[in-house]
Amino acid sequence: MKYLALVKLLFVQQYKVRSAVATRSGKKRLGSAALYLVLGVCFVPLFVAVAVAMYYMGKVSDGNVYVATFLTLICQSLVLMFGVHAVISNVFVVRDADRLLYLPIRSHVIFLAKLTVAYLNEVITTAVTAIVVLLPFGIGAGAGVAYYLMLLAALVLLPMLPMLAGTFVAMPISALVTLFGKNSAVKTILRIVLYVAIMALYMYAMYSFGFLTGSSGGNNFLDDPEKYIADTIGDFALNLQNVMPYFHSDYMLMQSMLATNFAQWAAGFACALAENAALLGLVFAVSLPFYRKMLASSVEGSGARGKNKNGGYVVKQRGTVREFMLTDLKRTVRDAQIGFQSFAGIIMTPVIVVILYFLMGTADSGETSFLELMQISPLYQMIAPLIILVYMTFLGCSTNVLGLYPISRENKSAFILKSLPVPFSKILLSKVLLATAVMVLSDFVTCILIVALFGVKWYIGIVMLAVMILVGFGAMCLTTLLDLKNPRFGWDNFNQGLKNAKNSWIAMLIALLAGVALTVCSVPFVVVFAILDSVYLTIAMWAVDLGVSAAFAAVSYKIMTGKAAKYFERIEV
Amino acid sequence: MIRLHNVSKTYFKSPVKAVDDLSLEVKPGEIFGFLGPNGAGKSTTIKIITGILTPDSGTVEINGVNLADDPIAAKSLVGYVPDNHEMYDALKGIEYLQFVGTMYGVRAADLKRKIDEYAALFELTDAIPDMIGSYSHGMKQKLSVIAALVHDPKVWILDEPLTGLDPQSAYQLKTLMRKQAEAGNTVFFSSHVIDVVEKVCDRIGIINHGKLVAVDTLDNIRADGKVSLESLFLTITSKNERQDAPDDASDDGEGK
Repeated sequence: MKYLALVKLLFVQQYKVRSAVATRSGKKRLGSAALYLVLGVCFVPLFVAVAVAMYYMGKVSDGNVYVATFLTLICQSLVLMFGVHAVISNVFVVRDADRLLYLPIRSHVIFLAKLTVAYLNEVITTAVTAIVVLLPFGIGAGAGVAYYLMLLAALVLLPMLPMLAGTFVAMPISALVTLFGKNSAVKTILRIVLYVAIMALYMYAMYSFGFLTGSSGGNNFLDDPEKYIADTIGDFALNLQNVMPYFHSDYMLMQSMLATNFAQWAAGFACALAENAALLGLVFAVSLPFYRKMLASSVEGSGARGKNKNGGYVVKQRGTVREFMLTDLKRTVRDAQIGFQSFAGIIMTPVIVVILYFLMGTADSGETSFLELMQISPLYQMIAPLIILVYMTFLGCSTNVLGLYPISRENKSAFILKSLPVPFSKILLSKVLLATAVMVLSDFVTCILIVALFGVKWYIGIVMLAVMILVGFGAMCLTTLLDLKNPRFGWDNFNQGLKNAKNSWIAMLIALLAGVALTVCSVPFVVVFAILDSVYLTIAMWAVDLGVSAAFAAVSYKIMTGKAAKYFERIEV
Repeated sequence: MIRLHNVSKTYFKSPVKAVDDLSLEVKPGEIFGFLGPNGAGKSTTIKIITGILTPDSGTVEINGVNLADDPIAAKSLVGYVPDNHEMYDALKGIEYLQFVGTMYGVRAADLKRKIDEYAALFELTDAIPDMIGSYSHGMKQKLSVIAALVHDPKVWILDEPLTGLDPQSAYQLKTLMRKQAEAGNTVFFSSHVIDVVEKVCDRIGIINHGKLVAVDTLDNIRADGKVSLESLFLTITSKNERQDAPDDASDDGEGK
């Protein structure tokens, strides 16, 4: 009973974030409905494209159990990527010890409840990935009714492996960062570095399966695309035969899902159930002592302070905006949750550029990579930077947490901002400047990588950087305004607490619309270039894109500054 | 000086007025005690005076400066000690004081001198270079008090300032409040501790259900000079409850 009550409390609490302004509920509901509708229109094509690819994979591989197991691993990897951070922030970053320890509940019950909440969150992610990946795969493979019924069982079982992996990854990260004692900034950097290392390891594993190398038996994609893909999947299935059985619980689950007779189904399902139960036991047994240790250190550490000599501090003369930015930066870097979210975004887009390069730019010896094939085309320098730009802007805007939640991250101490004798325009400027500085750093590294890896001309790279910064700045101004309009306070866990805030979705949408606008402006130049092949058209296209993005940034900034003070005034803290 | 004129405030999630047509004047050189039961509207009133909340109607003046017309000038005159301890936990104590000092435009040399003085007074010197997150409740309270004083405010507003303070620090705080008043500054002080209010304040106001139900010097409120402030407070607030009772009952009736 205590366990269930605690699970309910923790699960519900992560969505209980207080809105701090008055909004008419009818208007709010209408706005939300409109937003979801537009988002649906934008994202459904993407999901449909993935689903079609999975359908085709199921069809070509004829429901190959190794390919199906690999796809479950893909789903689990996505769950893991989001899950590791959820496990760290929900389970091992103990912020509620003082509220839980005095209750007559054993620590293992608290731990189990927290683990359950992390698991429930992962089930939700699994459900989304399963609908897009496993469902169309089954349809393509012509699977029977049992496959679809077993999908429900898969939803329950698939998160177990990411839970185990997430826990095993979270423990050394949490332990390592704890070693650095009081230096919170180093802790945040270390967390990000380790997170990137895990992602790189994941990419290496995928690469080693032969999926990303484009092995196709010597066929050329341009000669016969259908045969090329069929051969690639065939080769891929062969490669997987040796690896997939190691992921035994998934392999057995897929065997039962794709079983052709009852005995095969029963054996596979029983085995998958037993192995996942064992995984759960292992997670619990290994991480409970660690959780207890973190719980103890969170309580004992609260009073630990260094001995300082009398007067051992310096007071400096600074301007208001500079002081604000420095304070905000320190608070962000030193906060375990906000710091990770804010600065992981910086490396997210460059890392994805590298991943894209591995996906398109590598090939077996003697073969030509997809990227090399594309680079032969005269249109490459015209189209490729534009596509990469739109995609990177889309990613960059949605990961810049500093610009997405500038007010919500103030949380319960937001009253301090309101009590200070400082014009809100200065507070706003400092927040926008800080978020812009972080974004520029990320965009700069991204553009260097694009020029170096994708063979984009350096001068186009510079214009791309300018366009990315301008579009990012414009999107950030609008999301800052949205956060001001409806900030969320009262959260205990930044990661979970802002789940129901829509800013990152809206940022994606804004970036997507900006991308569409840039594409629409560029298409006429591309079409004419295909006929005339003149370098002036490239220059003209980028000049127009630069102008459009500058106009977008200027208009967004004007909208933000025009309304921000009024919204700030309305906030009730 | 603080002057509130017909101030009202209703939170957007609440159907009732948190502050209802409140008018009040607190003079320079005065320590004003603000009393009221939980949820009476004390903190809301203080948040309105400090500019954290905007009133739905009415005006607030700080030393003659209208808060709505010139909020920056008005806020510059105020030092505020909040009732909660939600501070910037990821900052060091000294970083927080540097931040607050800069926001109030205090020169670095003056700020250092003030910090040294008040940190020594509240025995916080050793802890100031540490993270605020590692502070106890009382230490955060002391830091709040120092932060509210580094710019020499003309109006000092303290919301439940004695909560969590050790006896020595509580004594120092009361002494400081008196010094501020003697220097001609205004001290507005909210508390549940009636004994302290009785000893420290020159004048008190009692708020209940958002309305100011009594405001006068202590001696004048005690009509016969023998009643304790505690019994007076209980009488006034319970009388107020009784007056409200028929309305409450009819509300309930309508609800059913």
